[in-house]
Amino acid sequence: MNAPERALSFLLDEDNAEEKITYAADTKVSNAGTFTINKEDHTVANLVRMQLLLNPQVRFVGYITPHPLVHKVDMKIQTFSSIIAPVEVLSTAIEDLSGETDRLITETTDAIAKWKKENQSGGMGQFQ
Amino acid sequence: EIKFILTETDTSVANALRRIMIAEVPTLAIDLVEFTENTSVLNDEYIAHRLGLIPIRYCAPDSLRGGDCHGAFLPHRECVCYEKCPRCSVEFDLDVNFDRIVNDRPENERDLPFTITSADLKSNNEFVSPAHFLNPEEQNESHDTGISIVKIGPGQHLKLKAIARMGIAKEHAKWSPVAVSTYRFDPIITINEEACATLTHEQKQQLVDVCPDRILELDEASGKLMVARDAWETATYTEDLRVTQTMMKKREEDDDFVTVEHNDDKFIFSVEGTGAMDAEEILMSSLRVLKERLNYLLNSVETLKDM
Repeated sequence: MNAPERALSFLLDEDNAEEKITYAADTKVSNAGTFTINKEDHTVANLVRMQLLLNPQVRFVGYITPHPLVHKVDMKIQTFSSIIAPVEVLSTAIEDLSGETDRLITETTDAIAKWKKENQSGGMGQFQ
Repeated sequence: EIKFILTETDTSVANALRRIMIAEVPTLAIDLVEFTENTSVLNDEYIAHRLGLIPIRYCAPDSLRGGDCHGAFLPHRECVCYEKCPRCSVEFDLDVNFDRIVNDRPENERDLPFTITSADLKSNNEFVSPAHFLNPEEQNESHDTGISIVKIGPGQHLKLKAIARMGIAKEHAKWSPVAVSTYRFDPIITINEEACATLTHEQKQQLVDVCPDRILELDEASGKLMVARDAWETATYTEDLRVTQTMMKKREEDDDFVTVEHNDDKFIFSVEGTGAMDAEEILMSSLRVLKERLNYLLNSVETLKDM
């Protein structure tokens, strides 16, 4: 009765004009800001955070899911210089991840094809 | 079921892949059930719940493999139809009346309850059907003709129409394509040659025997301790080895004879599907879902940059 719609855990709430990602610059710390990503969870947030840690321009990066029943992620990013904004660093990280996923896809397809050839499994279908 | 090795990436990638395989790969499952007749022992919503959990298999027109239904169907909320249409859903019919089928059964079984199974679900889409047995041997061994739904007796009749839609497990667990999706770290087993030289043959044999996974071997010719060839696959438990080694060491601070640590870079994945999709298809689909998510996020960040 009180339970929220399950689909809202991964779909943006159109009625309330929810945006996927918002940014708030940090007032007390220089070159830092917090990104609020709606309708995401650890799956993507941890991935992006680890990729950002590999970037030498990044001074601090951390994420938190404020409450497990509220589906959003707050990610705080701080860079070393004011020339490179946190947004830039974030978009670079996601681009790199996208490229890595592409590479994973091609290598997986190749590996599966190679295994199939080596094992000559003809009847992969189903019996009814 | 497949087992594969993922290398040169971080744990976060392995975990993201695992989470997507469990929760975000789209599959088909029965979502809406209309009952015309139900005089069985289970009530309507119970049977509807059971029907929802049956894995539904989609085979693309040109292959026998349980494939990814993502391209062939639209999620219902994106479809323009009112309730159902061939574009977003598949209809299943089930009509079993005990009194009508009793004559088809063998003489000695006529008064036993009849099990209505997933084999009785007839779909209106030739490429979609409930998941069935893998091969003839399994079907012959099993007592059932499929996944059992309910058992009916004389005078009982079950007639219903079920509509299957595409969804992801985040909305309801019935849409999850995997039974098990796990990964573990690849072990690095190093043998300290100098320390091993101080051991007697019996002690080395003891080290080989104490480990339940048998990750070590004793080389016949040289009497040296070696890592077994398939150790990477079987090594899961090393406590016994450690305890025996501490007992054997002359002093506490001596180096270990054999050390087993996990390799942060290499993961051994094990994925077992429910029958709705072949395991390789689950893997490819999860990679595709990850890519779409990242692209969506990238576009959102780009709009943020312009502001």
